[in-house]
Amino acid sequence: MKRPPVLMRVQIRGEERKFCLWLPLFLLVPLVILLLIILSPVILIAATIVRKRGCGRRVSPVARTSLGILCSVRGIRAAFDVLCSMPGLRIDVCNNKERVYVSII
Amino acid sequence: MSENQKKVLEMLADKKISVDEAYRLLDALKTEGAAAEGAGEAGRTGKPKPKYLRVCVIPIRGHEHGEGHGHDEDDEDDEDDEDDKGAALVNVRVPMSLIRSGMKFTSLLPDGARDKVTDALHEKGINLDMRNMKPEDLEEIIEALSDLEIKVVNKKEVVKVFVE
Repeated sequence: MKRPPVLMRVQIRGEERKFCLWLPLFLLVPLVILLLIILSPVILIAATIVRKRGCGRRVSPVARTSLGILCSVRGIRAAFDVLCSMPGLRIDVCNNKERVYVSII
Repeated sequence: MSENQKKVLEMLADKKISVDEAYRLLDALKTEGAAAEGAGEAGRTGKPKPKYLRVCVIPIRGHEHGEGHGHDEDDEDDEDDEDDKGAALVNVRVPMSLIRSGMKFTSLLPDGARDKVTDALHEKGINLDMRNMKPEDLEEIIEALSDLEIKVVNKKEVVKVFVE
């Protein structure tokens, strides 16, 4: 079963300072859902306006495309799929003095 | 002789089952054993499914971070070496499932944008038509990736792309 990531670890080390952050992503999921529910009427209205303007003369093609994807169920599903595939992703870049480490668990 | 076979023979000796039943039970046990052995053989010889795509850039001189597997997360103070200033160790691990999901995103691209991407790829010499990409093709590509290993060496660093 697919599950969204639980934790994200970010570690940045500079010459003078360093910090390590554990982000509890599982706490963000309810917030994101809440935000989506709150914003859904706005998204719907925006999508309707864009659609009514047909070719979207006043709206840039990028915005139209973004909204189109955002409003489609397939888009949301694909985004969720990507999110659920993120556990295991690890990026580690360092040199002698600096280091950036991101890990999604 | 396995435990189950012994049990069957004991039951036959105790006259709990007939000869015919014992024969059928032994036969069934034999078939089951052969199937299990075959499955084990396939598991040993079959290729493991690739799980991660790894991209490593390893500086050649002055760093002993270990062959592309990153360094210990807790090591704190690296030795400064002016010669290697700017030489970075990069260790990226991308789950295959993320690549799979990302590729599915291409189906959401508007036609115009997809054509532009295809044209841009053609310009770079890559003959990949995103309109013809199917989920089966994607699986095939990912399976084929298990044999992939790219190693580029120059004076400063080694770049390795492989699947694990």
